[in-house]
Amino acid sequence: MECLKIDNITKVYKGNKKEPDKIVLKDISFSINEGEFVCLLGPSGCGKTTLLTMMGGFLEPTSGKILLDGNEIKGPGSERGYVFQNYALFPWMTVKENIAYGLKFSTKTKEEKEERVKYLINMARLNGNEKKFPIQLSGGMQQRVAVARALAGFPRVLLLDEPLGAIDFQMRELLQNELDQMVQEAHITAVMVTHDVSESVFMSDRVIVLGNNHGHIVSDYKIDLPRRRDRESEEFKKCVTELTSLVRIAFNENITAGEACIMKRRK
Amino acid sequence: MERPKNKIWDVKARRLELVNDTYLGYIVLMILCAIWFFASKNIKSELILPSFEKTAVEFLTGWTNKRVMTNFWITLKRVLLGVGYAIVVGTIIGIGMGYSKKVYNALSPIINSIRQIPIMTWVPLSIIWFGLGEGPTIFLIFMSAVFPLTINVIDGVANIDQNLVYASRSMGASLSDIIRDIILPGAFPSFLTGVRLAIGGGWQSVI
Ligand SMILES: Nc1ncnc2c1ncn2[C@@H]1O[C@H](COP(=O)(O)OP(=O)(O)O)[C@@H](O)[C@H]1O
Ligand SMILES: [Mg+2]
Repeated sequence: MECLKIDNITKVYKGNKKEPDKIVLKDISFSINEGEFVCLLGPSGCGKTTLLTMMGGFLEPTSGKILLDGNEIKGPGSERGYVFQNYALFPWMTVKENIAYGLKFSTKTKEEKEERVKYLINMARLNGNEKKFPIQLSGGMQQRVAVARALAGFPRVLLLDEPLGAIDFQMRELLQNELDQMVQEAHITAVMVTHDVSESVFMSDRVIVLGNNHGHIVSDYKIDLPRRRDRESEEFKKCVTELTSLVRIAFNENITAGEACIMKRRK
Repeated sequence: MERPKNKIWDVKARRLELVNDTYLGYIVLMILCAIWFFASKNIKSELILPSFEKTAVEFLTGWTNKRVMTNFWITLKRVLLGVGYAIVVGTIIGIGMGYSKKVYNALSPIINSIRQIPIMTWVPLSIIWFGLGEGPTIFLIFMSAVFPLTINVIDGVANIDQNLVYASRSMGASLSDIIRDIILPGAFPSFLTGVRLAIGGGWQSVI
């Protein structure tokens, strides 16, 4: 069943005296089915964050619309959990308070909320750290708090913007395992932005490759491997190879667009 | 409980540090007093530099002198009132201007022009407005306290990570929830700096 629908989205950032308007995304359409984990993959600067921010409702598309279960998204809402690139944990709240904030405005009873927070702390393996402040946590722990907080209010979709972008290479695979486990346990529809090919193959059912040519969709790539994927398997490596060349095409689109631009100016 | 070691949120710890090092300030003060003591011995003119001993005696007896003390309390009350009003007004305007670009653009021309007016030029106007009692003094203290406070609150609010506001909105927070849960705690360190400057400014315009 269709859950999230991106319908002919165009986004233009208004320029100023020094800079012209910037068309970041042009006529982008795709849809995401219930329970699917979709990665948006593409070179840096191609508009992935812009697209996800509009799904979050923090930014309005210039034209087109985004629908969730058939309703147009107009502003942020608790049916969409968001994990920010820098986690955006509240620095003055403890781990427990941060996670509980995700439930603060829900209509559930106090007991139900307490129960839910306990469950999430368990699921994110944060036991014993409830009273710590974000600044006292490792990057991996901050990431788990951010995911737990976003999941707290039972959102319909989880939106993640490069949740592992700031994590060094050695830790990354470990945290991918953890994130994969949390999302699978939550049985939730999710959209994740990344520029790491192997990460997208490990995590997702579908990878949408965006090019820098106004976010043009280079490929909508299905990954049909069994879960808790084996990074060493032949199938996994094959997907990585294929997607890597697709990303290269996406990146070259960028260069061709850039060159075309320069050529135009020379004329 | 352990406090987080965060630059912004270490308000308490920062004060503790100051307390540990305050003896340095007393040493400098004592050295200056000693210089004063010997200098006045050499100059021997009370008009140019009054002797250290006499000034010290006056300073100490002042604390037990009834007239001096009543005036001290009156002044303190005026400062607290003026600064109190400044805190209320400055916080409200500061949050508005820091949070919304529109409010900022609407108010900044008028605030920036009033801010430039030297405090003494308010004296005649304030006497016309508030008569000859406490009013003008409190008004002047207010005027010199409100701007440093407002500017610090604006700065504190504007520097809050926009994603924190987004995050709370995506959890269903309303504007008043955002102000209470994100803006106020996020801008609190700058607010404290503002209050310190406001109290300083308030004292300076006591007449
Ligand atoms: N608020 C903004 N105003 C103007 N340009 C922006 C703004 N945000 C992003 N951009 C530009 O839009 C393009 C896409 O940005 P972004 O969506 O962050 O890309 P990605 O997340 O794929 O790296 C970039 O060239 C960036 O400079
Ligand atoms: Mg980005």
